[in-house]
Amino acid sequence: MKTGYVRVLSFIMTVCMLCITAACGKTADEDAWLAGAALDKEETADELYEKALKEDVLVVYTVSTRATRTKEAFEKLYPGLCVEIRDLRSPNLVEEVEENYKNGLTDCDVIICNDNSGQFKERIVDTGIAYPYLPSDIAEKMKDPGSNDMGSFTYEAEMLFYNSGLFDECPIENIWELADECYEGRIYMPNPLHSFSTYAFCGGVFEYSDELTCAYTDLYGMEPDTGDEGIAEYFWKSVSKNIVYTNSSDEVLEALGSGAADFGIMVSSKLRFMDLGYDMAPVYDLEPFCGCRISFCAMIARNSDNINTAKLFIRFLYGETDGNIDGYRPFCTEGTWSVRTDIPDGSEVPLDEIDLFVPDQDYMIQNREYFEDFWAGILESKW
Amino acid sequence: MNRKISKLLIFAFIMSLLHIPGCGLRSQPEILYVAIPYSENIQDIDTNYYINYLEEKTGLEIVVAFVKIEDCDDYLDMLFNSEAEIDVVLFGKDFVPSDGVLDEYASRGDIYLPDGEFRYVSEGWDTQDKIGTILWINKEWLINLGMSVPKTCEEFEEILEAFKNEDPNGNGIRDEIPLAGSLSRYDLDPVEFILGSYAKNDPYHSRMSADGHCIATDPEYRDGLLFCNELYEKGLIDDSILTCSESELCELVNSPEHIVGAFTASSIGDVIYRGNPEIMARYVHVPPLKGPDGKAFAVLPENEPQIGAIILSRSEKKEAAELLLDTMMSEEASLIARFGEPGVDWDYSDGRDISIYMTPSTIITRNYIRDVVQNKNLNGVGPMRVPDKYLYGVTWNGLNSDSEYVDARAKMAYADYLPQNDVRAAGKDEKLSVYLDRYLADFVTGRSDISDDDVWNEYVSGAEGLIH
Repeated sequence: MKTGYVRVLSFIMTVCMLCITAACGKTADEDAWLAGAALDKEETADELYEKALKEDVLVVYTVSTRATRTKEAFEKLYPGLCVEIRDLRSPNLVEEVEENYKNGLTDCDVIICNDNSGQFKERIVDTGIAYPYLPSDIAEKMKDPGSNDMGSFTYEAEMLFYNSGLFDECPIENIWELADECYEGRIYMPNPLHSFSTYAFCGGVFEYSDELTCAYTDLYGMEPDTGDEGIAEYFWKSVSKNIVYTNSSDEVLEALGSGAADFGIMVSSKLRFMDLGYDMAPVYDLEPFCGCRISFCAMIARNSDNINTAKLFIRFLYGETDGNIDGYRPFCTEGTWSVRTDIPDGSEVPLDEIDLFVPDQDYMIQNREYFEDFWAGILESKW
Repeated sequence: MNRKISKLLIFAFIMSLLHIPGCGLRSQPEILYVAIPYSENIQDIDTNYYINYLEEKTGLEIVVAFVKIEDCDDYLDMLFNSEAEIDVVLFGKDFVPSDGVLDEYASRGDIYLPDGEFRYVSEGWDTQDKIGTILWINKEWLINLGMSVPKTCEEFEEILEAFKNEDPNGNGIRDEIPLAGSLSRYDLDPVEFILGSYAKNDPYHSRMSADGHCIATDPEYRDGLLFCNELYEKGLIDDSILTCSESELCELVNSPEHIVGAFTASSIGDVIYRGNPEIMARYVHVPPLKGPDGKAFAVLPENEPQIGAIILSRSEKKEAAELLLDTMMSEEASLIARFGEPGVDWDYSDGRDISIYMTPSTIITRNYIRDVVQNKNLNGVGPMRVPDKYLYGVTWNGLNSDSEYVDARAKMAYADYLPQNDVRAAGKDEKLSVYLDRYLADFVTGRSDISDDDVWNEYVSGAEGLIH
């Protein structure tokens, strides 16, 4: 009887152990992946290339079509390596990457995303679904070495533009003027719930209540009467009456180009299309701000099977050790600013001369639910 | 007694034998033979979600006969001259009969018309605001050359010259095709687009206005042809358009050699292959160009209601055929035919989102299954009636290479340039169209001298002779 009891007990324990081992299996595998990825190992581009030649096609999920030109330059420089680009809108990219991870898929190797709404940090970085890769030989050339845990490789801005075909100079000096009824239906902006950079600007404004109040008082000579609302809520509700919400910055650009819009709020990198003849000009001086600084990051997706190609691609995108910008060139255009000391900005006007604020990602994360409900209400009220 | 029992047993056995097939017959659904154009985009018709849905809804068994003949008219000719056991024929995509063909069969009594008319139309695969054609230009080449998106025909000509002579693809070879096209479809012929800068061009209605006037005989139209002839003579309109098929044009534009500067198409997805975001990202739409008089018109679209299906008069299952096609025309079925499986490929939206037409959203697409290999519907084939609120309420799925999103933006930019609806004639006059199209090609290529007044007058007389 006793022997039988021991047998049963040992059987149960064995099963339990197997279950525990199985349950740990995924983590153990992942840790094995992390150890194998050796993200802090010093490796030259040549060493990575040699190893990359034994790997498969590198899949890059990106929110920027410019990555396709980096891919072309990369494939030219490194014969035998292939890159596949999947171009997605930021919330869709985060969803896809999350889904892939949950389903154990290793479909994505490198992620290029706007990282300022807090969502990317909260859902992808803090959860360990993606990792920054910044070799020390490149890290030492960063303008702001302490802030690169997000893998930022370029700065841009989400900011105001005016129609330079309709106005010789910007017709406003204060952001509250956007609420003027003469601009009804004449301001275009992407839906903040589907654009991380727009969301960063829309949400970031809430942190600057004092500045908004001062600007209102300067313009109208009196304190704003916001009723029960905060000043930021009052501001957005007032301006939203004039806004046409779009799906992306491309539609904002086209509305400015066709003359449908007097103003547009969009990413500064669209300035590169000025050369194509679109009538638009950036608003650099506006009380209290004309937009916010944003950044784009490049990260390696956890469980990537093509780790050496991924590392090589990111090094290439950063501008390698020597600041060779073949990989970064597609991003080094008007409306962008370099993160490195040895690579010049794409824009002539320095970032610190533009009335931009820098959104606090933790503030965004803490207030995400409130912001999402607020903007859903705003959009609903539009219809 | 035993004999009685034996007889009863034998009787019961015989009855059971009779009963089994009888029972089987009663439970067998009615079989309907449906001809459907073959498509590589449909994975497996036996497990196709839409076909299974229709079978469940109607209680019919749908036996699909795939048609591999590409020319719809040829197929109908063969079908009506045979005794093939087909009850219903579905049309759609490139498998559509020429104008008047169905009327002819109907007048001969070959087609069964339930209410004396073609009831089973296809409305909803595309939105009704389709544009006759749209110009797509290589923005990378423009950037490389430091040039702007053209606003006039004159600027367009300068750009085409630069495309031809200044090696915008940077490979050191003069392999650039400034303006590619195909005569296989009006929207793929760039001449039709350019003529819109001179006149209210409407090739889909024999270039006739509702008051019986043919714009193809106007001096403005002639000026447009002169301009196109000049572009052709300079090699800016590539002579490959004379021989290029639709698929050959696609090959040129999708070539990794990056050789095409501009092309026209009513949908960018008709020319650029799916899953090709790099090539899709190269091209942007250009709003209609202003001609020398400052005019700019978008080419009117075809927009005639397309017939989605017919029932053959010889079918002995007309009632079942009507049941099937009426079901396909329902809102529920039409949404499947257009968007795929509800809850999987799409969902109803709560209206808080923005559609690709910047209106409140009604449909959220989860999987984009249009023109890709899938097993959810018939990829645009067959009758349907998708209400506008759904067609215009589709959200963007976030893919920059989503051609529906790219097209929607172009359509919105072109909408203001569409001539008023009253300019179009009721239908298309085949004879007149053939005449005008032939001369159009001859004038552009110089086979007929567009600058010669006698030639022009002869052409005008010929056209007037064909106008009733």
